[in-house]
Amino acid sequence: MAFMQHFCNRITSKLTRLNARSLSRANITVENDLKKSVLISQSTDIYTNLALEEWIFKNFNLEKHHILMLWKNDPCIVIGRNQNPWSEINFSDLQSLKEGGVNIARRSSSGETVYHDHGNLNLTFFTPKEKYDLKKNNQVVVKSIFREFGCSVDIGMDNHLLLGKKKQVSNNAAKLGRENAYHNISLRVQCSKINRNVALQKRDVHIQSSTKHSVPLSEMMNLCEETPDVTVSTLVKAVGWEFLRTKGISGKDGGMELANKQQGFHMVNPTEYWFPGIQEIRDKYNSWEWRYGKTPKFTIAQNFAVPTGLLHTNAGASASLKVTMTVENGRISDITIFVPQELNSLGFTGEAKVFHGLKGKKFTAQAFEDLEDSLGSLLNEKDRFFTECLKQVMTNA
Amino acid sequence: MAVVPRVLCRRFLQNFSSPRFIHTSLKVYAERLFTEKHEWVKLDGKIGTIGISDYAQEALGDVVYAQLPDVNTEIKQKEECGALESVKAASEIYSPVSGKVIEKNEAVEETPSLINTSCYDKGWLFKLELANESELKELMTETKYTEFLKTQESH
Repeated sequence: MAFMQHFCNRITSKLTRLNARSLSRANITVENDLKKSVLISQSTDIYTNLALEEWIFKNFNLEKHHILMLWKNDPCIVIGRNQNPWSEINFSDLQSLKEGGVNIARRSSSGETVYHDHGNLNLTFFTPKEKYDLKKNNQVVVKSIFREFGCSVDIGMDNHLLLGKKKQVSNNAAKLGRENAYHNISLRVQCSKINRNVALQKRDVHIQSSTKHSVPLSEMMNLCEETPDVTVSTLVKAVGWEFLRTKGISGKDGGMELANKQQGFHMVNPTEYWFPGIQEIRDKYNSWEWRYGKTPKFTIAQNFAVPTGLLHTNAGASASLKVTMTVENGRISDITIFVPQELNSLGFTGEAKVFHGLKGKKFTAQAFEDLEDSLGSLLNEKDRFFTECLKQVMTNA
Repeated sequence: MAVVPRVLCRRFLQNFSSPRFIHTSLKVYAERLFTEKHEWVKLDGKIGTIGISDYAQEALGDVVYAQLPDVNTEIKQKEECGALESVKAASEIYSPVSGKVIEKNEAVEETPSLINTSCYDKGWLFKLELANESELKELMTETKYTEFLKTQESH
Protein backbone atom coordinates (compact mmCIF):
# COMPACT_ATOMS: atom_id res chain seq x y z
CA MET A 1 0.00 0.00 0.00
CA ALA A 2 2.78 2.37 1.00
CA PHE A 3 4.49 1.64 -2.27
CA MET A 4 1.38 2.57 -4.26
CA GLN A 5 0.83 5.71 -2.24
CA HIS A 6 4.39 6.74 -2.91
CA PHE A 7 3.74 6.42 -6.63
CA CYS A 8 0.42 8.25 -6.49
CA ASN A 9 1.93 11.13 -4.51
CA ARG A 10 4.69 11.52 -7.03
CA ILE A 11 2.24 11.59 -9.91
CA THR A 12 -0.04 14.09 -8.17
CA SER A 13 2.84 16.45 -7.47
CA LYS A 14 3.90 16.21 -11.11
CA LEU A 15 0.36 17.00 -12.24
CA THR A 16 0.07 20.04 -9.98
CA ARG A 17 3.30 21.40 -11.37
CA LEU A 18 2.01 20.79 -14.88
CA ASN A 19 -1.22 22.68 -14.32
CA ALA A 20 0.68 25.65 -12.99
CA ARG A 21 2.50 25.96 -16.28
CA SER A 22 1.12 27.26 -19.51
CA LEU A 23 -1.65 25.18 -21.06
CA SER A 24 -0.40 25.13 -24.60
CA ARG A 25 2.51 22.78 -24.52
CA ALA A 26 4.14 20.77 -27.22
CA ASN A 27 4.85 17.06 -27.03
CA ILE A 28 8.43 17.82 -26.17
CA THR A 29 7.47 19.35 -22.82
CA VAL A 30 5.15 16.42 -22.10
CA GLU A 31 8.06 14.14 -22.87
CA ASN A 32 10.28 15.96 -20.39
CA ASP A 33 7.69 15.52 -17.66
CA LEU A 34 7.21 11.87 -18.39
CA LYS A 35 8.59 9.48 -15.81
CA LYS A 36 9.51 5.87 -16.31
CA SER A 37 9.83 2.96 -13.90
CA VAL A 38 10.98 -0.62 -14.24
CA LEU A 39 9.11 -3.06 -11.99
CA ILE A 40 10.66 -6.49 -11.49
CA SER A 41 8.19 -9.04 -10.18
CA GLN A 42 9.53 -11.23 -7.39
CA SER A 43 6.96 -13.91 -8.14
CA THR A 44 7.50 -16.79 -10.56
CA ASP A 45 3.90 -17.94 -10.36
CA ILE A 46 2.15 -17.39 -13.69
CA TYR A 47 -1.26 -16.67 -12.15
CA THR A 48 0.20 -14.08 -9.75
CA ASN A 49 2.13 -12.38 -12.54
CA LEU A 50 -0.92 -12.22 -14.81
CA ALA A 51 -2.83 -10.75 -11.86
CA LEU A 52 -0.11 -8.13 -11.32
CA GLU A 53 -0.25 -7.22 -15.02
CA GLU A 54 -4.02 -6.75 -14.78
CA TRP A 55 -3.72 -4.83 -11.50
CA ILE A 56 -1.34 -2.27 -13.00
CA PHE A 57 -3.46 -2.02 -16.16
CA LYS A 58 -6.62 -1.32 -14.16
CA ASN A 59 -5.27 0.89 -11.38
CA PHE A 60 -2.32 2.97 -12.55
CA ASN A 61 -2.60 6.43 -14.02
CA LEU A 62 -0.11 6.09 -16.86
CA GLU A 63 -0.57 9.50 -18.40
CA LYS A 64 2.70 10.87 -17.04
CA HIS A 65 4.30 7.65 -15.99
CA HIS A 66 5.19 4.74 -18.26
CA ILE A 67 5.99 1.36 -16.76
CA LEU A 68 7.95 -1.67 -17.84
CA MET A 69 7.19 -4.83 -15.88
CA LEU A 70 9.77 -7.64 -16.10
CA TRP A 71 8.83 -11.14 -15.01
CA LYS A 72 9.55 -14.83 -15.46
CA ASN A 73 7.61 -17.95 -14.63
CA ASP A 74 7.99 -21.51 -13.42
CA PRO A 75 7.28 -23.95 -16.28
CA CYS A 76 3.88 -23.17 -17.72
CA ILE A 77 1.88 -22.85 -20.90
CA VAL A 78 0.11 -19.57 -21.54
CA ILE A 79 -2.62 -19.42 -24.17
CA GLY A 80 -4.09 -16.27 -25.73
CA ARG A 81 -7.38 -14.74 -24.53
CA ASN A 82 -9.55 -16.54 -27.09
CA GLN A 83 -7.55 -19.65 -27.83
CA ASN A 84 -8.54 -23.27 -27.39
CA PRO A 85 -6.34 -25.17 -24.88
CA TRP A 86 -7.35 -28.53 -26.38
CA SER A 87 -6.08 -27.58 -29.81
CA GLU A 88 -2.90 -25.89 -28.52
CA ILE A 89 -1.65 -28.10 -25.72
CA ASN A 90 -0.38 -31.65 -25.77
CA PHE A 91 -2.22 -32.70 -22.60
CA SER A 92 -1.38 -36.39 -22.80
CA ASP A 93 2.39 -35.89 -22.43
CA LEU A 94 2.41 -33.00 -19.97
CA GLN A 95 2.85 -35.20 -16.91
CA SER A 96 6.24 -36.37 -18.17
CA LEU A 97 7.67 -32.85 -18.04
CA LYS A 98 7.58 -32.02 -14.38
CA GLU A 99 6.32 -33.54 -11.18
CA GLY A 100 2.86 -32.15 -10.60
CA GLY A 101 2.63 -31.12 -14.22
CA VAL A 102 3.06 -27.83 -15.95
CA ASN A 103 0.71 -24.96 -15.09
CA ILE A 104 -1.75 -23.98 -17.77
CA ALA A 105 -2.91 -20.36 -17.92
CA ARG A 106 -5.05 -18.14 -20.13
CA ARG A 107 -4.04 -14.49 -20.30
CA SER A 108 -6.36 -11.53 -20.96
CA SER A 109 -4.35 -10.31 -23.90
CA SER A 110 -4.38 -11.41 -27.52
CA GLY A 111 -1.84 -13.55 -29.31
CA GLU A 112 -0.55 -17.06 -29.50
CA THR A 113 0.34 -19.88 -27.13
CA VAL A 114 3.75 -19.73 -25.47
CA TYR A 115 5.76 -22.10 -23.28
CA HIS A 116 7.51 -20.37 -20.36
CA ASP A 117 10.24 -21.43 -17.97
CA HIS A 118 13.06 -19.59 -16.21
CA GLY A 119 14.81 -19.16 -19.56
CA ASN A 120 12.04 -16.95 -20.85
CA LEU A 121 11.79 -13.23 -20.08
CA ASN A 122 8.46 -11.41 -20.15
CA LEU A 123 8.39 -7.70 -20.74
CA THR A 124 5.14 -5.80 -20.35
CA PHE A 125 5.10 -2.16 -21.49
CA PHE A 126 2.28 -0.11 -19.94
CA THR A 127 1.26 3.18 -21.60
CA PRO A 128 -1.88 5.23 -22.12
CA LYS A 129 -3.95 3.80 -25.00
CA GLU A 130 -2.96 6.65 -27.37
CA LYS A 131 0.73 5.97 -26.80
CA TYR A 132 0.45 2.22 -27.45
CA ASP A 133 3.23 1.40 -29.92
CA LEU A 134 4.45 -2.15 -30.56
CA LYS A 135 7.33 -1.06 -32.72
CA LYS A 136 8.75 1.42 -30.25
CA ASN A 137 8.72 -1.19 -27.49
CA ASN A 138 10.42 -3.73 -29.70
CA GLN A 139 13.09 -1.17 -30.59
CA VAL A 140 13.94 -0.79 -26.89
CA VAL A 141 14.59 -4.54 -26.74
CA VAL A 142 16.57 -4.59 -30.00
CA LYS A 143 18.79 -1.68 -28.89
CA SER A 144 19.43 -3.19 -25.47
CA ILE A 145 20.51 -6.52 -26.96
CA PHE A 146 22.82 -4.77 -29.38
CA ARG A 147 24.30 -2.44 -26.75
CA GLU A 148 24.92 -5.19 -24.19
CA PHE A 149 25.74 -8.22 -26.31
CA GLY A 150 26.59 -6.78 -29.74
CA CYS A 151 23.99 -9.03 -31.31
CA SER A 152 21.64 -7.67 -33.93
CA VAL A 153 18.01 -8.67 -33.84
CA ASP A 154 15.48 -7.59 -36.47
CA ILE A 155 11.86 -6.57 -36.13
CA GLY A 156 9.71 -8.62 -38.50
CA MET A 157 6.66 -7.61 -40.48
CA ASP A 158 4.26 -8.56 -37.71
CA ASN A 159 6.49 -7.03 -35.00
CA HIS A 160 8.12 -10.27 -33.89
CA LEU A 161 11.80 -10.18 -33.02
CA LEU A 162 13.84 -12.21 -35.47
CA LEU A 163 17.30 -13.76 -35.46
CA GLY A 164 18.96 -14.16 -38.84
CA LYS A 165 15.95 -12.38 -40.38
CA LYS A 166 13.69 -15.43 -40.06
CA LYS A 167 13.79 -17.34 -36.77
CA GLN A 168 11.37 -15.91 -34.25
CA VAL A 169 12.66 -15.24 -30.70
CA SER A 170 9.61 -13.42 -29.34
CA ASN A 171 5.82 -13.43 -29.28
CA ASN A 172 3.57 -10.42 -28.85
CA ALA A 173 0.42 -10.09 -26.79
CA ALA A 174 -1.51 -6.89 -26.27
CA LYS A 175 -4.52 -5.50 -24.54
CA LEU A 176 -6.27 -2.15 -25.01
CA GLY A 177 -8.58 -0.69 -22.38
CA ARG A 178 -10.49 2.56 -22.15
CA GLU A 179 -7.54 4.59 -20.85
CA ASN A 180 -4.61 2.22 -20.57
CA ALA A 181 -2.94 -0.34 -22.77
CA TYR A 182 -0.19 -2.89 -22.45
CA HIS A 183 2.04 -4.80 -24.80
CA ASN A 184 3.72 -7.98 -23.65
CA ILE A 185 6.81 -9.38 -25.30
CA SER A 186 7.60 -12.97 -24.42
CA LEU A 187 11.32 -13.33 -25.19
CA ARG A 188 12.99 -16.72 -25.51
CA VAL A 189 16.46 -16.44 -24.00
CA GLN A 190 17.42 -19.95 -22.88
CA CYS A 191 14.07 -21.65 -22.92
CA SER A 192 13.98 -25.48 -22.91
CA LYS A 193 13.20 -26.43 -26.48
CA ILE A 194 12.60 -30.08 -25.62
CA ASN A 195 10.01 -29.29 -22.97
CA ARG A 196 8.39 -26.70 -25.18
CA ASN A 197 8.05 -29.15 -28.02
CA VAL A 198 6.60 -31.84 -25.77
CA ALA A 199 4.13 -29.35 -24.27
CA LEU A 200 2.94 -27.78 -27.49
CA GLN A 201 3.47 -30.30 -30.25
CA LYS A 202 0.04 -31.66 -31.08
CA ARG A 203 -0.85 -34.90 -32.68
CA ASP A 204 -3.52 -34.68 -35.30
CA VAL A 205 -6.65 -33.63 -33.43
CA HIS A 206 -9.77 -32.77 -35.37
CA ILE A 207 -10.96 -29.63 -33.66
CA GLN A 208 -13.00 -27.11 -35.56
CA SER A 209 -13.40 -23.61 -34.22
CA SER A 210 -12.95 -20.00 -35.20
CA THR A 211 -9.92 -19.53 -32.94
CA LYS A 212 -6.44 -18.62 -34.04
CA HIS A 213 -3.67 -21.23 -34.17
CA SER A 214 -0.09 -20.66 -33.17
CA VAL A 215 2.89 -20.56 -35.54
CA PRO A 216 4.91 -23.77 -36.11
CA LEU A 217 7.50 -24.42 -33.40
CA SER A 218 10.24 -25.00 -35.96
CA GLU A 219 10.16 -21.29 -36.77
CA MET A 220 11.28 -20.41 -33.25
CA MET A 221 14.70 -19.95 -31.69
CA ASN A 222 16.41 -18.98 -28.43
CA LEU A 223 18.48 -15.81 -28.14
CA CYS A 224 21.36 -17.79 -26.55
CA GLU A 225 21.82 -19.76 -29.76
CA GLU A 226 23.23 -16.61 -31.34
CA THR A 227 24.73 -14.98 -28.23
CA PRO A 228 25.87 -17.73 -25.81
CA ASP A 229 26.62 -15.30 -22.93
CA VAL A 230 23.09 -13.92 -22.73
CA THR A 231 21.09 -14.85 -19.62
CA VAL A 232 17.70 -13.73 -18.33
CA SER A 233 19.26 -11.77 -15.44
CA THR A 234 21.77 -9.87 -17.63
CA LEU A 235 18.95 -9.09 -20.02
CA VAL A 236 16.76 -7.75 -17.20
CA LYS A 237 19.39 -5.10 -16.46
CA ALA A 238 20.11 -4.34 -20.10
CA VAL A 239 16.48 -3.90 -21.15
CA GLY A 240 15.62 -2.01 -17.95
CA TRP A 241 18.36 0.58 -18.48
CA GLU A 242 17.55 0.90 -22.18
CA PHE A 243 13.89 1.59 -21.33
CA LEU A 244 14.88 4.27 -18.81
CA ARG A 245 17.25 6.05 -21.20
CA THR A 246 14.73 6.08 -24.08
CA LYS A 247 12.50 9.14 -24.38
CA GLY A 248 8.86 8.22 -23.86
CA ILE A 249 7.29 9.94 -26.86
CA SER A 250 9.93 10.25 -29.57
CA GLY A 251 11.76 7.04 -28.68
CA LYS A 252 15.10 8.90 -28.95
CA ASP A 253 18.06 7.99 -26.79
CA GLY A 254 18.46 10.28 -23.77
CA GLY A 255 21.63 8.57 -22.54
CA MET A 256 22.46 7.70 -18.94
CA GLU A 257 21.72 11.29 -17.96
CA LEU A 258 18.04 10.69 -18.70
CA ALA A 259 18.08 7.20 -17.22
CA ASN A 260 19.35 8.55 -13.91
CA LYS A 261 16.52 11.07 -13.74
CA GLN A 262 13.88 8.33 -13.93
CA GLN A 263 12.19 6.43 -11.14
CA GLY A 264 14.58 3.52 -11.62
CA PHE A 265 14.23 -0.17 -10.82
CA HIS A 266 11.76 -1.50 -8.24
CA MET A 267 11.57 -5.06 -6.99
CA VAL A 268 7.89 -5.68 -6.42
CA ASN A 269 6.29 -8.34 -4.32
CA PRO A 270 2.84 -8.96 -5.82
CA THR A 271 0.97 -9.58 -2.59
CA GLU A 272 -2.33 -8.33 -1.21
CA TYR A 273 -0.40 -6.02 1.10
CA TRP A 274 1.16 -4.06 -1.77
CA PHE A 275 -1.60 -4.47 -4.32
CA PRO A 276 -5.00 -4.67 -2.62
CA GLY A 277 -7.36 -6.93 -4.55
CA ILE A 278 -4.63 -8.85 -6.38
CA GLN A 279 -5.53 -12.16 -4.71
CA GLU A 280 -9.03 -12.05 -6.18
CA ILE A 281 -7.60 -11.47 -9.66
CA ARG A 282 -5.17 -14.36 -9.16
CA ASP A 283 -8.06 -16.64 -8.14
CA LYS A 284 -9.80 -15.76 -11.39
CA TYR A 285 -6.75 -16.67 -13.50
CA ASN A 286 -6.34 -19.93 -11.60
CA SER A 287 -9.99 -21.00 -11.96
CA TRP A 288 -11.29 -23.69 -14.31
CA GLU A 289 -14.01 -21.24 -15.45
CA TRP A 290 -11.38 -18.83 -16.78
CA ARG A 291 -8.78 -21.26 -18.12
CA TYR A 292 -11.11 -23.75 -19.83
CA GLY A 293 -14.59 -22.23 -19.50
CA LYS A 294 -13.60 -19.21 -21.62
CA THR A 295 -12.82 -21.41 -24.63
CA PRO A 296 -14.82 -20.36 -27.69
CA LYS A 297 -17.36 -22.94 -28.86
CA PHE A 298 -15.78 -25.80 -30.83
CA THR A 299 -16.47 -29.29 -32.15
CA ILE A 300 -14.17 -32.28 -32.01
CA ALA A 301 -14.52 -35.43 -34.10
CA GLN A 302 -12.88 -38.83 -34.07
CA ASN A 303 -13.32 -42.18 -35.85
CA PHE A 304 -12.99 -45.56 -34.16
CA ALA A 305 -12.64 -48.98 -35.69
CA VAL A 306 -15.24 -51.31 -34.23
CA PRO A 307 -13.63 -54.43 -32.69
CA THR A 308 -14.39 -57.46 -34.80
CA GLY A 309 -15.71 -59.27 -31.73
CA LEU A 310 -18.69 -56.96 -31.73
CA LEU A 311 -19.52 -57.61 -35.36
CA HIS A 312 -20.80 -61.08 -36.02
CA THR A 313 -21.95 -60.37 -39.55
CA ASN A 314 -19.37 -60.62 -42.33
CA ALA A 315 -16.48 -61.49 -40.07
CA GLY A 316 -13.43 -59.64 -41.27
CA ALA A 317 -15.27 -56.60 -42.58
CA SER A 318 -14.28 -53.34 -40.93
CA ALA A 319 -16.66 -50.74 -39.64
CA SER A 320 -16.02 -47.44 -37.95
CA LEU A 321 -17.88 -45.40 -35.42
CA LYS A 322 -17.69 -41.61 -35.65
CA VAL A 323 -18.06 -39.44 -32.58
CA THR A 324 -18.60 -35.67 -32.80
CA MET A 325 -18.82 -33.52 -29.70
CA THR A 326 -19.71 -29.86 -29.39
CA VAL A 327 -18.16 -28.02 -26.46
CA GLU A 328 -19.48 -24.66 -25.25
CA ASN A 329 -17.97 -22.77 -22.28
CA GLY A 330 -15.72 -25.77 -21.73
CA ARG A 331 -18.72 -28.06 -21.20
CA ILE A 332 -20.13 -30.75 -23.48
CA SER A 333 -23.25 -29.33 -25.12
CA ASP A 334 -23.93 -31.88 -27.83
CA ILE A 335 -22.81 -35.33 -28.93
CA THR A 336 -23.59 -37.11 -32.16
CA ILE A 337 -22.51 -40.62 -32.96
CA PHE A 338 -22.56 -42.16 -36.36
CA VAL A 339 -23.24 -45.83 -35.72
CA PRO A 340 -22.31 -48.17 -38.56
CA GLN A 341 -25.00 -50.47 -39.84
CA GLU A 342 -23.19 -53.60 -38.69
CA LEU A 343 -23.23 -52.48 -35.10
CA ASN A 344 -26.68 -50.99 -35.19
CA SER A 345 -28.29 -54.20 -36.31
CA LEU A 346 -27.19 -55.83 -33.06
CA GLY A 347 -29.28 -53.38 -31.11
CA PHE A 348 -27.55 -50.63 -29.20
CA THR A 349 -29.16 -49.70 -25.92
CA GLY A 350 -26.82 -47.50 -23.95
CA GLU A 351 -26.73 -44.53 -26.34
CA ALA A 352 -29.37 -42.36 -24.69
CA LYS A 353 -28.02 -42.91 -21.19
CA VAL A 354 -24.47 -42.14 -22.24
CA PHE A 355 -25.56 -38.94 -23.93
CA HIS A 356 -27.73 -37.55 -21.17
CA GLY A 357 -25.16 -38.20 -18.51
CA LEU A 358 -22.50 -36.24 -20.37
CA LYS A 359 -24.35 -33.10 -21.45
CA GLY A 360 -23.38 -30.09 -19.39
CA LYS A 361 -20.34 -31.90 -17.93
CA LYS A 362 -16.87 -30.35 -18.09
CA PHE A 363 -14.92 -31.55 -21.11
CA THR A 364 -12.47 -33.66 -19.08
CA ALA A 365 -11.64 -37.35 -18.83
CA GLN A 366 -13.09 -37.25 -15.31
CA ALA A 367 -16.58 -36.67 -16.74
CA PHE A 368 -16.37 -40.02 -18.52
CA GLU A 369 -15.04 -41.87 -15.50
CA ASP A 370 -17.90 -40.55 -13.36
CA LEU A 371 -20.33 -41.63 -16.00
CA GLU A 372 -18.96 -45.15 -16.13
CA ASP A 373 -19.20 -45.39 -12.36
CA SER A 374 -22.80 -44.29 -12.31
CA LEU A 375 -23.89 -46.53 -15.14
CA GLY A 376 -21.80 -49.40 -13.82
CA SER A 377 -23.49 -52.72 -14.38
CA LEU A 378 -26.07 -51.23 -16.74
CA LEU A 379 -23.51 -51.19 -19.48
CA ASN A 380 -23.00 -54.22 -21.62
CA GLU A 381 -19.97 -54.91 -23.76
CA LYS A 382 -21.15 -52.82 -26.69
CA ASP A 383 -22.09 -49.87 -24.53
CA ARG A 384 -18.69 -50.03 -22.94
CA PHE A 385 -17.14 -49.71 -26.35
CA PHE A 386 -19.20 -46.58 -26.96
CA THR A 387 -18.19 -44.92 -23.71
CA GLU A 388 -14.60 -45.91 -24.30
CA CYS A 389 -14.75 -44.15 -27.69
CA LEU A 390 -16.21 -41.00 -26.11
CA LYS A 391 -13.52 -41.03 -23.46
CA GLN A 392 -10.80 -41.36 -26.04
CA VAL A 393 -12.05 -38.30 -27.87
CA MET A 394 -11.41 -36.45 -24.65
CA THR A 395 -8.09 -37.93 -23.62
CA ASN A 396 -6.58 -37.60 -27.08
CA ALA A 397 -7.46 -33.93 -27.23
CA MET B 1 -49.41 20.04 -58.84
CA ALA B 2 -46.94 21.38 -56.39
CA VAL B 3 -45.55 17.91 -55.58
CA VAL B 4 -44.19 17.13 -59.01
CA PRO B 5 -41.83 20.10 -59.33
CA ARG B 6 -40.50 19.44 -55.81
CA VAL B 7 -39.65 15.83 -56.64
CA LEU B 8 -38.03 16.92 -59.87
CA CYS B 9 -36.11 19.56 -58.05
CA ARG B 10 -34.81 17.02 -55.46
CA ARG B 11 -33.75 14.65 -58.19
CA PHE B 12 -31.96 17.43 -59.92
CA LEU B 13 -30.12 18.28 -56.72
CA GLN B 14 -29.26 14.66 -55.93
CA ASN B 15 -27.89 14.13 -59.39
CA PHE B 16 -25.90 17.26 -59.76
CA SER B 17 -25.05 18.62 -56.40
CA SER B 18 -22.70 16.58 -54.25
CA PRO B 19 -23.18 18.63 -51.04
CA ARG B 20 -26.75 17.45 -51.04
CA PHE B 21 -25.51 13.86 -50.87
CA ILE B 22 -23.36 14.50 -47.84
CA HIS B 23 -26.29 16.11 -46.14
CA THR B 24 -28.51 13.08 -46.70
CA SER B 25 -25.91 10.65 -45.41
CA LEU B 26 -25.47 12.71 -42.25
CA LYS B 27 -29.20 12.52 -41.68
CA VAL B 28 -29.10 8.71 -41.75
CA TYR B 29 -26.84 8.64 -38.68
CA ALA B 30 -28.37 11.67 -37.02
CA GLU B 31 -29.90 9.69 -34.18
CA ARG B 32 -26.69 7.89 -33.23
CA LEU B 33 -24.91 9.24 -30.18
CA PHE B 34 -21.16 8.86 -29.69
CA THR B 35 -18.61 8.78 -26.87
CA GLU B 36 -15.07 10.15 -26.96
CA LYS B 37 -13.90 6.55 -26.81
CA HIS B 38 -15.56 5.82 -30.16
CA GLU B 39 -18.60 3.82 -29.08
CA TRP B 40 -22.09 4.61 -30.41
CA VAL B 41 -25.63 4.07 -29.18
CA LYS B 42 -28.80 4.30 -31.25
CA LEU B 43 -32.10 4.67 -29.45
CA ASP B 44 -35.47 3.12 -30.12
CA GLY B 45 -37.66 4.04 -27.17
CA LYS B 46 -35.89 2.69 -24.09
CA ILE B 47 -33.85 0.21 -26.12
CA GLY B 48 -30.34 1.21 -27.10
CA THR B 49 -28.28 -0.56 -29.77
CA ILE B 50 -24.53 -0.36 -29.12
CA GLY B 51 -21.60 -0.55 -31.53
CA ILE B 52 -18.18 0.89 -32.26
CA SER B 53 -17.45 3.72 -34.69
CA ASP B 54 -15.73 3.55 -38.04
CA TYR B 55 -12.68 5.24 -36.51
CA ALA B 56 -12.52 2.52 -33.82
CA GLN B 57 -12.86 -0.40 -36.22
CA GLU B 58 -10.15 1.04 -38.42
CA ALA B 59 -7.82 1.49 -35.44
CA LEU B 60 -8.44 -2.12 -34.38
CA GLY B 61 -7.75 -3.71 -37.73
CA ASP B 62 -9.31 -7.03 -38.73
CA VAL B 63 -11.45 -8.31 -35.88
CA VAL B 64 -10.94 -12.07 -35.51
CA TYR B 65 -12.98 -12.81 -32.40
CA ALA B 66 -15.86 -11.07 -30.61
CA GLN B 67 -16.85 -11.87 -27.05
CA LEU B 68 -20.14 -10.09 -26.31
CA PRO B 69 -22.06 -9.72 -23.04
CA ASP B 70 -24.72 -12.38 -22.42
CA VAL B 71 -28.44 -11.56 -22.36
CA ASN B 72 -29.67 -10.38 -18.93
CA THR B 73 -26.24 -9.07 -17.88
CA GLU B 74 -26.51 -5.76 -16.01
CA ILE B 75 -23.99 -3.35 -17.47
CA LYS B 76 -22.76 -0.10 -15.96
CA GLN B 77 -21.74 2.84 -18.10
CA LYS B 78 -18.00 2.87 -18.97
CA GLU B 79 -17.52 -0.58 -17.47
CA GLU B 80 -15.87 -3.43 -19.37
CA CYS B 81 -18.50 -5.77 -20.79
CA GLY B 82 -16.75 -7.83 -23.46
CA ALA B 83 -13.73 -7.94 -25.74
CA LEU B 84 -12.84 -7.75 -29.41
CA GLU B 85 -9.68 -9.47 -30.55
CA SER B 86 -8.06 -8.14 -33.67
CA VAL B 87 -4.81 -8.99 -35.35
CA LYS B 88 -3.23 -6.23 -33.26
CA ALA B 89 -4.62 -6.65 -29.72
CA ALA B 90 -7.44 -7.72 -27.45
CA SER B 91 -9.57 -4.65 -26.94
CA GLU B 92 -12.11 -4.27 -24.17
CA ILE B 93 -15.69 -3.29 -25.02
CA TYR B 94 -17.30 -0.55 -22.92
CA SER B 95 -20.91 0.45 -22.94
CA PRO B 96 -21.73 4.14 -23.45
CA VAL B 97 -24.84 3.71 -21.24
CA SER B 98 -25.98 1.55 -18.30
CA GLY B 99 -28.70 -1.06 -18.61
CA LYS B 100 -29.69 -4.70 -18.97
CA VAL B 101 -28.64 -6.63 -22.07
CA ILE B 102 -31.68 -7.89 -24.02
CA GLU B 103 -29.94 -9.18 -27.14
CA LYS B 104 -26.43 -9.76 -28.47
CA ASN B 105 -25.53 -9.87 -32.13
CA GLU B 106 -24.88 -13.54 -32.75
CA ALA B 107 -24.06 -12.84 -36.39
CA VAL B 108 -21.04 -10.85 -35.19
CA GLU B 109 -19.94 -13.70 -32.92
CA GLU B 110 -20.10 -16.03 -35.93
CA THR B 111 -18.56 -13.55 -38.37
CA PRO B 112 -16.52 -10.95 -36.45
CA SER B 113 -15.43 -9.23 -39.68
CA LEU B 114 -18.94 -7.69 -39.86
CA ILE B 115 -17.56 -5.11 -37.40
CA ASN B 116 -15.05 -4.03 -40.03
CA THR B 117 -17.36 -4.15 -43.02
CA SER B 118 -20.52 -2.72 -41.46
CA CYS B 119 -19.83 -1.14 -38.08
CA TYR B 120 -22.99 1.01 -38.09
CA ASP B 121 -25.40 -1.61 -39.41
CA LYS B 122 -24.79 -5.37 -39.42
CA GLY B 123 -21.84 -5.04 -37.09
CA TRP B 124 -23.78 -3.78 -34.05
CA LEU B 125 -22.71 -5.51 -30.82
CA PHE B 126 -25.60 -5.72 -28.35
CA LYS B 127 -28.92 -4.13 -27.34
CA LEU B 128 -29.82 -3.04 -23.87
CA GLU B 129 -32.71 -1.58 -21.93
CA LEU B 130 -31.50 1.77 -20.66
CA ALA B 131 -31.31 2.16 -16.89
CA ASN B 132 -30.58 5.86 -16.78
CA GLU B 133 -31.55 8.08 -19.71
CA SER B 134 -29.76 11.09 -18.26
CA GLU B 135 -26.47 9.41 -19.24
CA LEU B 136 -27.31 10.27 -22.84
CA LYS B 137 -26.69 13.95 -22.15
CA GLU B 138 -22.93 13.36 -21.97
CA LEU B 139 -22.85 11.87 -25.47
CA MET B 140 -22.12 13.62 -28.78
CA THR B 141 -24.25 13.82 -31.89
CA GLU B 142 -22.79 12.57 -35.17
CA THR B 143 -21.88 16.14 -36.17
CA LYS B 144 -20.13 16.86 -32.87
CA TYR B 145 -18.34 13.52 -33.01
CA THR B 146 -17.05 14.27 -36.51
CA GLU B 147 -15.70 17.60 -35.22
CA PHE B 148 -14.18 15.83 -32.23
CA LEU B 149 -12.37 13.43 -34.57
CA LYS B 150 -10.88 16.38 -36.46
CA THR B 151 -9.45 17.86 -33.25
CA GLN B 152 -7.98 14.42 -32.40
CA GLU B 153 -6.26 14.18 -35.77
CA SER B 154 -4.57 17.54 -35.39
CA HIS B 155 -2.75 16.29 -32.26
